[in-house]
Amino acid sequence: MFRTTAVRVHSLVKGALNISKPSVTTTRFMSSHSTETDEQFDARYENFFNRKDIDGWEIRQGINDLCGHDLVPEPKIVVAALKACRRVNDYALAIRILEAVKDKCGGKVNEIYPYIIQEVRPTLTELGIDTPEELGYDKPELALQSVYDIH
Amino acid sequence: MPEELSKLPKPQMRRLLYGQIRKNLILTGISVTIAGLYMRLVFGDGNKREYAEFYKNYDINKEFHRIRRKGLFDSCDPNDDAE
Repeated sequence: MFRTTAVRVHSLVKGALNISKPSVTTTRFMSSHSTETDEQFDARYENFFNRKDIDGWEIRQGINDLCGHDLVPEPKIVVAALKACRRVNDYALAIRILEAVKDKCGGKVNEIYPYIIQEVRPTLTELGIDTPEELGYDKPELALQSVYDIH
Repeated sequence: MPEELSKLPKPQMRRLLYGQIRKNLILTGISVTIAGLYMRLVFGDGNKREYAEFYKNYDINKEFHRIRRKGLFDSCDPNDDAE
């Protein structure tokens, strides 16, 4: 019994001394209403992705947190994320981020997604990133023409 | 010279789910109210009125003899000319 209490106290002390990884959101046990403005929210995510020492894990965590919110990411956040992918040499992640942004548009894909691609196009050409549509990833694999449409 | 493509205006990008849920809740409230009002005013009160009018001048004795003369009661004589 003394051994179990010693182990628990040891793990508590170890947790108190832990240095937390820099994350986009700080974990707080409070209600979900925040006093952050839209611009502060955008700036927080843009600064997170613009960190020079970001790694692939943190990019994925950031995008995952971003997709948990009820909004479509602003083009400037997408640009920062794509540049972060360039820094870690992860082209597949860049395509996946574009697919995630398209998915966040929900029912209004045809209004929002072309706008975002239009705003992000300079960065896409600068970094040499294709959109999922250009790679054929927006259609199912082996998408064959329906036999009823062939005459 | 590349021709100037019309730039798309910035659409609404925040609180899309919030707006969708709010619209759904409003529609739910409206349809619940309409359904409730219909059931109370048309269905409920209409049925009560029909029942009240049926039983306003209901003579159970007359009905008894009418059914008796059809021979539907096992214990009563259909040919008895009482009433």
